[in-house]
Amino acid sequence: MPESIVHSSFLGRHAEHAQELLAFVTQGELYAAPLAAVQEIVVPPPLTVVPRAPRAVVGVCSVRGRVVTVVDFRTCMGLPPLAQGRRVRILLGQGENDEIVGLRVDEVRHVVRLAAGELEWTAQSLGGDAADSVLRGIGRPANGEELVLVDMKAVLTKGCA
Amino acid sequence: MSEASDRGREEFLGEAQDIIEAFSRNLLSLDASFKKGSVEPALLNEGFRAIHTLKGLASLFGVTGLAMLTHRLEDLLDGLRLGRISISSEVLDVLFAAVEACHLLLAAEREDEDDGAVPDVVHRVLTQIELLGRGAKAANDDDFTIDPGILAVLTEYEEHRLRANLEAGLRLFRVRVQFDLMTIDKELALLKDRARQLGEVITYLPTGESSSPDVLELDLVLASGEELALLVSQLGGEAIAIEEIPRRNAQATARRESAAQVLSRTPMSASHLASSVPSSASVPALERVVSVQEKRLARRAVRVDIHKLDRLMNVVGELSLLRSSLRRMADRVKNSGQRQLGGELHRLHRNFERRLEDMQDGILEMRMVPLGQVFDRLARGVRQMSRDVGKEVRLVITGAETEIDKLIVEELGDPLLHMLRNAIDHGIETEAERVRAKKNPVGTIALNAYQKGNHVMIEVEDDGRGVDEKRLIERAVQIGAIEPSSAPDISRDEVMGLMFLPGLSTRDAVSEMSGRGVGMDVVKTNIARLGGVIDVHSERGIGTKMTLTLPITLAIVRALLVSAEEHVFAVPLSSVSEIVLLDSKTRFIDGREVMSLRGSTLPLCRLAEFFGISKQPQRGRAFVVVAQVGERRLGLVIDSVAGQQDIVIKALGSSLDRVRGFAGATELGDQRVGLVLDTTGIVEEVLSIHDTLRKAVLHA
Repeated sequence: MPESIVHSSFLGRHAEHAQELLAFVTQGELYAAPLAAVQEIVVPPPLTVVPRAPRAVVGVCSVRGRVVTVVDFRTCMGLPPLAQGRRVRILLGQGENDEIVGLRVDEVRHVVRLAAGELEWTAQSLGGDAADSVLRGIGRPANGEELVLVDMKAVLTKGCA
Repeated sequence: MSEASDRGREEFLGEAQDIIEAFSRNLLSLDASFKKGSVEPALLNEGFRAIHTLKGLASLFGVTGLAMLTHRLEDLLDGLRLGRISISSEVLDVLFAAVEACHLLLAAEREDEDDGAVPDVVHRVLTQIELLGRGAKAANDDDFTIDPGILAVLTEYEEHRLRANLEAGLRLFRVRVQFDLMTIDKELALLKDRARQLGEVITYLPTGESSSPDVLELDLVLASGEELALLVSQLGGEAIAIEEIPRRNAQATARRESAAQVLSRTPMSASHLASSVPSSASVPALERVVSVQEKRLARRAVRVDIHKLDRLMNVVGELSLLRSSLRRMADRVKNSGQRQLGGELHRLHRNFERRLEDMQDGILEMRMVPLGQVFDRLARGVRQMSRDVGKEVRLVITGAETEIDKLIVEELGDPLLHMLRNAIDHGIETEAERVRAKKNPVGTIALNAYQKGNHVMIEVEDDGRGVDEKRLIERAVQIGAIEPSSAPDISRDEVMGLMFLPGLSTRDAVSEMSGRGVGMDVVKTNIARLGGVIDVHSERGIGTKMTLTLPITLAIVRALLVSAEEHVFAVPLSSVSEIVLLDSKTRFIDGREVMSLRGSTLPLCRLAEFFGISKQPQRGRAFVVVAQVGERRLGLVIDSVAGQQDIVIKALGSSLDRVRGFAGATELGDQRVGLVLDTTGIVEEVLSIHDTLRKAVLHA
């Protein structure tokens, strides 16, 4: 996927328009990140644990010759860790300094297209402290489950801190 | 900016940098020859030509500041080579300052900050150049005993050299040579080299005559103090004829005699120097010579971005992964009963392996540059610094030809400059002190480089006052790095280590150059980042020697794969001195586990515990990888050794910058990533004397 489609801000300037979002599941809850902020979805290669790394960093892996740091979405959300599951995927996105960082999620669902009216942005934080600054709102599709909107860059940055 | 113009700009920056560096080397030789009391004219001319080229480039790429500076600089150098301005230490100062200014402008351009504003430094240099220019005297127009016909074909500079040589009482010779066009550049250079031993080559011009179209005949005008017979014996050859160009006596009657007549007196010449150049036939010939030379020069070197070499190196890394798969497959085929096919595959694999090694060596070789590149800059720095503090210092450089990875060279300049600054500022005493101590009033700093196995050693050694250990400890206590109570137990080596604590300076007064308490810790960090270490030896009153141990290259390393608690780590082999079995009788000294190894005490570090990854106390057989960093040794206790492998070290993402202990990661094959231990960092961290000190180092 070309890098140019990655926005540096959460949804770019198209926040008022319809959005394509990638929905994923973690701990039974449905989340979604702007599709444009997800460069690639990879089946987790073997992860190498990095001693002394920040808690949310589950390790590093090699994606086509590049060593990528992988952050666990569960840990970022203050959820208990999950043993390896068959559906676990890593979403690649840009973290701090535009570094490509992976986000490990329980399961990837599908791409949803939401009209502007189906998106509800929050200026304030959603949920508890752990979720502070990485969740940006709620998506309410006319015929589907609610989605919690995740800011990829923020969550990747936070996970590495 | 388009990619093409970006690349053009990159090339400009690279070339400009090269020119400035060459010019600076040129200045250093000039400075040296000036100090010896004679100035090599060729040096001035070379410098002039370099700046002339740079000026052209700068205007071409619209780097206005640099164009302006080089324009003035060119004028100054022109004045110098033509003898209108005489060389002095003030002139040299200005030239050195101009080099710095060029670097500054180039750096700004590289950062894309060239907003047309000219920094103050550049203004100062420009003003100084102008002041020097005012002192210029007009060209010497005295009549002189050389034929105007000859003068007419000389450039202004050549004429000046001719005059200067004649004034020095030398004689003029004409050397007529025929060259094969195929080999002319090489042979001409050879001849010029030989001629230079005997005198000065003023000019060389084609005669416009030659026996065949593949042959070019040149006349060299040589000024020499030697006898004709000697020249003939030294330079003479089959295609070479030498004769003296008669000089017109100032008192001679035939004052207006033409050059043609002068030269026609010599029996062997059919054509003449004087008439040769303006003739239409010979001009293209000359151009041909020049263009042939330029083309050959241009073809000999290619400028390559080092990142391209990195990418190539990555490909080699991936090829070696393929190689291991090939090997595995060969094994499988062989074991499945197809012995012959398996054997063939094995041979193929071995062949592939050898070629791959050649390729790896080739790429590594391309990355290597001589340390001289950075030493030249240091020599300039030392000259400046020693003048600034009013101490006379002699810098003796050896091993400038030692080669090291280009990336390392680029990062070495600042740390080395700081070490030299320290040596001049703190090490070398004032002249009065030196005389009192019965030392040579001129201080000496030796900068030595040499290769030692897979490392390059660089020593900075001064013959100054040495490190004041007492003062160092006092300061360390003052800044709270060590407890006053533990001060007396510190060993000599540890004392030297204190020098690298942040915020530590033994100078009471903060000096202009060093002594601000920043510096040696930064030096150490920078060197460590390159995988190097610093060792310090000092003798009171005799001097201080700092030794840098650096890896030759950063790109590929041979590593030992070790495992600890199911984690596999790669340990660069260059820092491993040996592997031994863990002694079952380890002891604890001062809270640190040690074992004895052939009579000496080896501090130990249980890797799994160190990294906080141990699940159970280590038991059973364990190994000790003895890591040697500089002169310090540390035994890394691990569970097993998995083997050796050539690895390409890849950087961990910047998100893991704060994680200490790893130099990067590498692909181990089978899709796995292994972490590469930062042996230097670990040894450093473990062997830090006290916990407080360890903290100080960690938070630096």
